[in-house]
Amino acid sequence: MYSVMMAQWMKEKRKPLLILLFIVISILATVIFGDASLYTQTSVEVYSTEENAEEIEKKWERLLNEASDIEFVITVEEEALKNVSEGKSDVAVRLMEKDYRLITASETPNLQLVEQEVQKVFTKEARLEAMTDVVNSSKLRNEVKDYLENPPIKVQSESLAGEEIPQYNMGMQLLFGFTLFFAMFTIGFKVNGINEDKVSGIWNRLILSPVSKTSMYVGHLIYSFLIGYVQILLVFLIFKYVMGYDIGNLPMILVISAVYTLSMVSLSMLIAGVAKTPEKFNMIFPSIIPIIPIISGIYMPPGTISNPVLQFIGDLFPLSHATEAMMGVALYDSSWNDIALPISLMLLIGVVCMGLGINMVERVKK
Amino acid sequence: MLETVNLSKTYKDKKAVDEIEIYLDKGESVGLLGPNGAGKSTTISIISSLLKPTSGDVRLNGKSTIKDPSEIRKVLGVVPQEIALYEELSAYENLKFFGRIYKVRKDQLEDRIQEVLGMVGLKDRQKELVKTFSGGMKRRVNIAAALLHQPEILILDEPTVGIDPQSRNHILETVKKLNEEHGTTILYTSHYMEEVEQLCNRVYIMDHGKVVASGSKAELLSILSSEDTIQVHLSKTTDALIEKIKNMEHVRQVDETSDGIRIITKKGSSILSDLVHAAEKEKSQIVHYQVEVPSLEDVFLHLTGKTLRD
Repeated sequence: MYSVMMAQWMKEKRKPLLILLFIVISILATVIFGDASLYTQTSVEVYSTEENAEEIEKKWERLLNEASDIEFVITVEEEALKNVSEGKSDVAVRLMEKDYRLITASETPNLQLVEQEVQKVFTKEARLEAMTDVVNSSKLRNEVKDYLENPPIKVQSESLAGEEIPQYNMGMQLLFGFTLFFAMFTIGFKVNGINEDKVSGIWNRLILSPVSKTSMYVGHLIYSFLIGYVQILLVFLIFKYVMGYDIGNLPMILVISAVYTLSMVSLSMLIAGVAKTPEKFNMIFPSIIPIIPIISGIYMPPGTISNPVLQFIGDLFPLSHATEAMMGVALYDSSWNDIALPISLMLLIGVVCMGLGINMVERVKK
Repeated sequence: MLETVNLSKTYKDKKAVDEIEIYLDKGESVGLLGPNGAGKSTTISIISSLLKPTSGDVRLNGKSTIKDPSEIRKVLGVVPQEIALYEELSAYENLKFFGRIYKVRKDQLEDRIQEVLGMVGLKDRQKELVKTFSGGMKRRVNIAAALLHQPEILILDEPTVGIDPQSRNHILETVKKLNEEHGTTILYTSHYMEEVEQLCNRVYIMDHGKVVASGSKAELLSILSSEDTIQVHLSKTTDALIEKIKNMEHVRQVDETSDGIRIITKKGSSILSDLVHAAEKEKSQIVHYQVEVPSLEDVFLHLTGKTLRD
C-alpha cells in the first residue's frame, strides 16, 4: 500500500502543475467572483431635470437615504447617463416631483433591489401626500414619525443563540463552493490512476505480486484523498491566514472537508468504474463535474433552486451537503449536532459510490 | 514443472482457448507461436493466474494454481506485451517500486536493481525518465522489472514487438543467458519464427485457440519431411498460371509471396519442366527457381495456412 502511494507521489512530483493550477484557480475564482458578490453596488446616482431640480433632488435624496441602506448620491444628468452607458453603474434614478424613472443599460439583480427601495419610499410618500388633503401635512408627518418610533408591537429577530441574525454571505459560499469544486478535478484525475494502471498493465504486475488487491486500491485511494484534501486545506489556510477571511471554526471546517474528500473519492471511483478506460474517464468526468455546482445551487443564493427534481439531483452529490455544513459553521456557528446530518449524508454517498465503483472496476477486469 | 490440462476459455460464444495441453519442464525454454488471435495471450494470462479458465486446470508441480494462485505467483515473472511501467519515473525508480512490491529484501534491493539493469544493458541510463527512452529501451526495462525477484519461470509475451535490431538482439541474449546460465524456465511467445528457433528447445504452434503442433524444431520440421518447398520468381504472374500450377501433378499448395510464388510439392518430385511449359503458354519466364530447405515458418504455413504476421 505504501509503495503504491509513494509511486503516485513520485509521479506527482514530476508533474505538479495540475494541482498547483487548481489551487491558484480556486483562489482566483473566489477572489474575483466572491468579492464581486460581496461588494454589490451600494451607491446610486440620482438627478432631476425638472425646473425645480435642486429642490426635488434634495427632498428625495433625504427621504431615500433615510429609508434605505443604499446610498443615493445627487449628480448631474450627463454624468449619471455616462456612468450607466459605460457600465460603471448598473442604474441611475431620474427624480420627478411625484414620480421617478430608473435609467439602466441591462437587467441586473442590483436593478431589482434599487427599484424595490425607491418604490417603497415613493409609495410611502404618495400615501402621506394623499392624506395631506385632509390633514395638516407637517403635523401628520410628525405623528407618523412618532408612531413608527414607538409602535404598539415591536418585532425583534435574533438567532437561536440570541445574537443578531448574520447577513447571508454569498462570497463565503463561493469560497467554499469553488474550493470544493476544483478539488473534485484533482481527486477525480488521481482516482483515474487506477484505470491508467489497468490499461498500462501495471495493475496486472501488482496482482501477480505479493501485494493484496485491497492494498492496491487503498494505496491509490488514500493518495487521491490526501492530495485532494491537502489542496482544500491549503486554499482554506491561505484564505484564513493570508487573506483574512473569517471561515469559522477551522477544525470543524477541516472535518467537513475530510468527509467531503472521502465521498468525492468514492464518486470518482464510481465514474472510473463506469468509464472503464482513462480516456473515457477524461471525457466523462470533466463533462459531469461542472454541472454539479450548478444543480447544487453553489453559484446562487440559497432557495434559488426550488424545483424538487433538481434539488433531489443536487442532493445526490456531496458538494451541496459540504457547502451547507460549511456555511452553517462559518455564518451561524453550527455545532457538531447541526452538521451531523450533512456529514452522514456525505458518508452514505461515499459508501454507496465506493461499493458500486469497485464492483464495476473489478467487473471490467473479467 | 508447469502444465495445463484441457485448458479452455470461452468469451460468450467464442472459444479463445480450446482444450490446450502445454507443459514446461524445469530449465526448459519453450516457444508459443501463433498468428494474431490464436489465443496465445489468453493462454499466458490463464497460466499466470490473471484470468480464470472456463474449464481445465493449470498445475505447478502437480498442484492446481487455479484454486490457489499464490504458489505460482511466487515463482513467476511475467513480461507483458505492453510497457507496464510508470513513464514519469526513471528506470531506477520503476525498478525500486517493483522491487518493493515484490517484497525484495531491503538489503538486497539495490544489488538486484543494479544486477537486472546490467542484464538488460541500461546501467548507465538508469537515472533517466522512462518516457525519454526508445521503444527498445522501454522493453528492456519492462523485462528487468520482471526479473527483480529472481523468478523460476519467466513468461515473455512478444517482448520484441516494434523495436530496433540492437535492442532486439540484447533482449534475445538476455533471455538466452537467463535460461542457460541461471536455469530460468522460459515460456516465450513471438511473431518472429527466428527468435523462437534461436531461443527455444520446444515449440507449441497455436491457431484458433488450439495447439495444432508441438515438439522440438527437428520434430516439427519432420512434418514437412514428405514435402519440398520451391520458391519461384516469374517475369509475369497471372491467375491462370497459378491455377495451372495448382493443377500440376505432385503440387500440394501454391502461395503468392512478395518475391513470387511458393510451391509445396511431394518430396523428390520435379515440376521444373511442367513449370517452364506452363510459363511459356502464359507468355511468362522463370527468372529464379530454388528448392528451399524447410523452416519452421514453412511448418507454420503448412499447418495454419497463413504466415505468422497475418
